[in-house]
Amino acid sequence: MNPWALEIQHVSKQFPDGTYALQNIEWGVKEGETMALIGESGSGKTTFLRLLNRLIEPTTGTVVIQGEPASAQDPIQLRRRLGYVPQDGGLFPHWTIRQNVCLVPHLLGWTLEQQLERVDMLLPLMNLNPSQIAERYPIELSGGQRQRVAVARALAADQPIVLLDEPFGALDPLTRHDLQDQFLSLQARLQKTMVLVTHDMSEAFRLGDRITILKEGCIQQVGTPHQILHAPATPYVHLLVQHYHAHRG
Amino acid sequence: MNTDRIRQRTRRISRGIVVGLLGLLYALSLPVWASDTIVVGSKNFMESRLLAEMFAQLIEARTELTVTRRLGLAGTQVCFEALKTGGIDLYPEYTGTGLVTILGEPPMHDRVSVLNRVRTEFLHRWNIWWLAPLGFENSYALALRRDRAQSLGLRTISDLVRVAPHMKAGFGYEFIQREDGLAGLKKSYGLQFQEVIGMQQTLKYQATDKGEVDLLDVYTTDGRLAVYDFVVLKDDRQFFPPYEAAALVRGEILKRHPELGRVISLLTNAIDPTRMRELNLRIQEQGEPVPQVAHSALRALNLVADNHVQPAASTESRDSILSYMWTTRSNLALRTGEHLGLSGLGLFLGILVAIPLGLALERWRRGAEAIIRIIGMLQTIPSIALLAFMIPIFGVGALPAIMALWMYSLFPILRNTYSGLRDAAPNVVETGRALGMTEWQILRTIRLPLAAPTIMAGIRTSAIWTVGTATLAAFIGAGGLGVPIVAGLQLADVNLILSGALPATVLALSVDGLLSRVEQWARPRGLEPVR
Repeated sequence: MNPWALEIQHVSKQFPDGTYALQNIEWGVKEGETMALIGESGSGKTTFLRLLNRLIEPTTGTVVIQGEPASAQDPIQLRRRLGYVPQDGGLFPHWTIRQNVCLVPHLLGWTLEQQLERVDMLLPLMNLNPSQIAERYPIELSGGQRQRVAVARALAADQPIVLLDEPFGALDPLTRHDLQDQFLSLQARLQKTMVLVTHDMSEAFRLGDRITILKEGCIQQVGTPHQILHAPATPYVHLLVQHYHAHRG
Repeated sequence: MNTDRIRQRTRRISRGIVVGLLGLLYALSLPVWASDTIVVGSKNFMESRLLAEMFAQLIEARTELTVTRRLGLAGTQVCFEALKTGGIDLYPEYTGTGLVTILGEPPMHDRVSVLNRVRTEFLHRWNIWWLAPLGFENSYALALRRDRAQSLGLRTISDLVRVAPHMKAGFGYEFIQREDGLAGLKKSYGLQFQEVIGMQQTLKYQATDKGEVDLLDVYTTDGRLAVYDFVVLKDDRQFFPPYEAAALVRGEILKRHPELGRVISLLTNAIDPTRMRELNLRIQEQGEPVPQVAHSALRALNLVADNHVQPAASTESRDSILSYMWTTRSNLALRTGEHLGLSGLGLFLGILVAIPLGLALERWRRGAEAIIRIIGMLQTIPSIALLAFMIPIFGVGALPAIMALWMYSLFPILRNTYSGLRDAAPNVVETGRALGMTEWQILRTIRLPLAAPTIMAGIRTSAIWTVGTATLAAFIGAGGLGVPIVAGLQLADVNLILSGALPATVLALSVDGLLSRVEQWARPRGLEPVR
């Protein structure tokens, strides 16, 4: 059996102006693994993530999702199997929390009962009280609460794979730490395949089973936090690690 | 989610009902079109209205025909265009205007040759008939106050040449433009003025009172010449061509209703200049309503019986504005209804086109900016010009007005629909897409609800704009609250102007208030700040 839940083979992405966003990427994420994707802004990490749910198409190469080429799958159906958490939560402001969480189940045609049941199950998992917030609107929630709702929404249809685009980037440090803890315990329970984009080294080390380091559209190194810390593959990674140590002081 | 959708749907339906009612209201105010209806038109000054009203009453009294009045059309071009296209069947015109303005020929100075010339040409080119002249000329002339004229020793236009460089002239806009007006006058006499100020015909006399202008272009039958004690300067070089008044009638209608020609011919040579000046004076200075003066003039000629004059609602326009409006309330209600109908229908059509177009452009963004810019350009056409452009296509009356209002209403709605949809929370749209919503689902459940307040704001802008612009519809005979305003401007009657302007303002404010409510209502919950 194919060990990769997500796989990228020989992929390059060239923009119309001729510059490369990604160059010759070979990459894979195992079933149940959390892969952190780290890089500076402009390193191509967002493009990388968008390749996975077919929001953009590669110029060359193949993206394989659960053993099947993504290009052979219907993009709409594919995306419904991939949970997604953007940086700002991306909650629909005019929908209640319940409606937001149930977005994908609703798209998949679940009954209302199934949806409600799901909300009652998921919100407590995210440390949220359904009876208090299910019928409220996003604007009435704090930033941290909104981000939890966004995570709940990404899990609502029991998606096997979840993509997170700097999910905790806009939160204050305390809330961020809190949510990272929660993410870890959630991941321990659910064992989803996760791809987490971040620009924060400590977040990558904390949450990632493995880490992918991107620079200017090329992969510098893929490895466990241990490998990265102790055997940096390139001078750039070495520099990052040095910064990381200095920062932790 | 379901309750939300039901709420949205009810909103949409009730919005539809409101617009539908407006349309119905409008339909009820439309005249019933019968084949034996004669449409009498006039230009937007009093003498033209009076003559047209006399034609109309004469036709009503002496034939079986029904008459529709389209009085106060904005100027010669509009009137004649309407006559050519069958928007109106007849209107009073002057032979000199026919020769110079319509045919574009150089002025001639003999009465009979002018008449013969326009008769032949109009018949030949458009099958339009000049009936026999009514008996007076209403030529242009230059005039100034008697005391000024005497102290300067002016009797003829030639005398004027030496003092003109120190004079301010207050001329009507049409006079300034016409070849047989200022331009030709300058050439013929070599006149140069210190300053030429374009003025509304009715306001000019007051301006000389205050000494702001010295010299006016006047109509020789203007009743105010006597009131303000003006001297008409003799046209010693016979520059001004003769302007004999006569009915201008479409040949088709004469053929279909020969009695029409016979009836109008009863007025041949029936009105001499002194009589005309008297009649004008009664309207201009004594504030008598046009229908009443027309009737008494016809009665004096023994052309109509003594009955059917409705004592005018109020001849005393010196009443307070409120009591004046109260006495004319039924008329004002009708005008308000027309006004709402015109603007409502224009707006409704605007919504009907602009929103789907906005939706389409959001899908096809490459062409969007260009198309929006083109439609935006419509907005820059002055309203009165746009109304005039509509006439060759749609004739006169409600239709061209509605079409013009429709064009004006497009841009704000289109722009707001497009940008509202395009800019609707991009991160939310992106998230919806990433989670597997189709473009259609994104449009329906994210873009549209989030853009709804913006779209409503566009509709509101358009609504206020159309309600405001609809006052100008009076210029092309479409009715509405502009009718009293335009008539009031010609009569310099403040009460009459206000009786149109006040309701129009109130209407605009209430439409604005109502739509701001709707705008609140269209705003999805969750966007409001927490209370």
